[in-house]
Amino acid sequence: MTNTPAIEAEGLVKRYDGVRALDGLTLSVDRGEFFGLLGPNGAGKTTFIETLVGLVEPTAGQAAVFGNDVETEQQAVRNHVSVAPQEFNVDRFFPIQEVLEHAARIHGVRASDARERAAEALESVGLAAKGDRKFRALSGGMKRRFLLARALVSDPDLLILDEPTAGVDVEIRRDIWNVVQRLNDDGMTVLLTTHYIEEAERLCDRVCVVDGGQTVVVDTPGQLRRRGTDTIRAEIDGERVHANRLRAVDGVDDVAVTSDGVTVRAERAESVLAAVVTAVSRQGRTVETLEVDRASLEDAFVDLTGPGADGSGGPESDETTTSQPSERSRQSSTTEQ
Amino acid sequence: MTDDSTLSVPDSVVPTWVVRTLGLARREVLRVTRRAKNTVLPPIVTNGLYITVFGVILGARIGETQGVPYLQFVLPGLIALGAISQSFQNAAFSLFHSRWEGYVEVMIAAPISSAEGIVSYLLGSAVRGLLVGGAVFALGYLFTGTPVRHPALLIAFVVVVVLLFGGLGLVGGMWADDFDQLTVFNQFLIRPLVFFGGVFYPLADLPGIARTVSYLNPIVYIVNGIRFSLTGISSVPPLTSLAVLVGATVLVVGLDVWLFERGFGLTE
Repeated sequence: MTNTPAIEAEGLVKRYDGVRALDGLTLSVDRGEFFGLLGPNGAGKTTFIETLVGLVEPTAGQAAVFGNDVETEQQAVRNHVSVAPQEFNVDRFFPIQEVLEHAARIHGVRASDARERAAEALESVGLAAKGDRKFRALSGGMKRRFLLARALVSDPDLLILDEPTAGVDVEIRRDIWNVVQRLNDDGMTVLLTTHYIEEAERLCDRVCVVDGGQTVVVDTPGQLRRRGTDTIRAEIDGERVHANRLRAVDGVDDVAVTSDGVTVRAERAESVLAAVVTAVSRQGRTVETLEVDRASLEDAFVDLTGPGADGSGGPESDETTTSQPSERSRQSSTTEQ
Repeated sequence: MTDDSTLSVPDSVVPTWVVRTLGLARREVLRVTRRAKNTVLPPIVTNGLYITVFGVILGARIGETQGVPYLQFVLPGLIALGAISQSFQNAAFSLFHSRWEGYVEVMIAAPISSAEGIVSYLLGSAVRGLLVGGAVFALGYLFTGTPVRHPALLIAFVVVVVLLFGGLGLVGGMWADDFDQLTVFNQFLIRPLVFFGGVFYPLADLPGIARTVSYLNPIVYIVNGIRFSLTGISSVPPLTSLAVLVGATVLVVGLDVWLFERGFGLTE
């Protein structure tokens, strides 16, 4: 039982009036994992979530949550899962403390505990002082945080966050990140859908890039970043360098020469950097400044899902390495020469 | 404002399904009681006007009907009208509103079963229907002062009626696509059935074919059942009426469960 994945989807298909919202989506999420679903609008992320909790019935394929089939064992699935949706779907009649109590009770939390759970959930998202307010009286950021609190009040094993930081400012976004990171550190499995590349990079152990209702690739943010291309920008004193001599450097993909420097693109900046500087020096020029832009997850994402992507996104990896919260998506270093 | 603590049932020993059902039912009941001036008071005022105009003012001219004063004759129908329309409206509006605002998804994604959800909504509707029906009865009693002939039967009829129309309200709440459609059931189905259900006249006054057709109208059984409970007179045997209504309630609640299970109007 403990080896059963938190989520296992195999060939999930959902058609709406001829449109395939899911087109054979396959993925597996380990217990305790922080798993990201990254994809453009209409990629099928929300449909996948709704399939897991029974809001959408799949046309074909199978999905299970902690080993429970989402179609035939719905109640068992729902005992494990909570969703913080993208939409503000809140009962606006009651103060938010009571909305949480109601949510807890329909998950089977006894009345004596529901109030305490609701207070704790509000506390965890910094809304403890707002419990007597109604949802409409909250600011946009508070509303987002409240949706998270509502998902937490049933103490789920699997927390599903659908665009949890959409439309909130940086400070609140980071607050939300800290809360869900803590929950994941404590063992809660988290499935996150997001448009924000930085969010996926910072939080997720693995990311599934979804496009057209299909799994394009599943990998760690670090490995996905390596699928992109690094850029080296060098300012050169004196006359222009010869581009062909730089192109001859092993590992260089592309070279662009400008009046004051050169831009070199390579899969791995560190593997060509010394050779590029040497090639410039051999032409009698001096590198004045050097800037390396690492390929970001965003670059990889655009490559995988943007125009020109072949749809397969390359060979699918199912690496289970757990990465640390990744470094900033774009690292720059400037070296005076 | 209701003392909410009275609505919390000590549940340290109750099964989880009861906890879930009472949790949702509490929400539905509070939705009625906290806004009593919107949910309960208006229909009481409306029915109070019916009692005053039809029962007291016109009733004095009409005299006796089937051996009782007209107000006594018409009061059972007004109780039924209040209980029917309010239990229907409560279930229909509450479920539709949760669909409209999207928070029905919170219920669907929770481990609460269809049957538990339906029972919860029916309890909320029953409370509203019983409050209004009871208030109409109390108003009528002020004018008639006549004791209830069969109180147990009266309670049985009113409870079955609010459950039956609460159940129909859930169908309406699942079916409607917008707020306008919510009124369709009430205006074009329930209200005509009530007015042709023997509320204001005895069935015996109708010509043959109209009287026969009237027996297809469930309101006839409701009105006559309550009328028998209050006055001892009825155009239909009371136990037959009760049996018909219980059967209809079982069918409608069964339909609710079937529709909920299939996610009719609730899921994609």
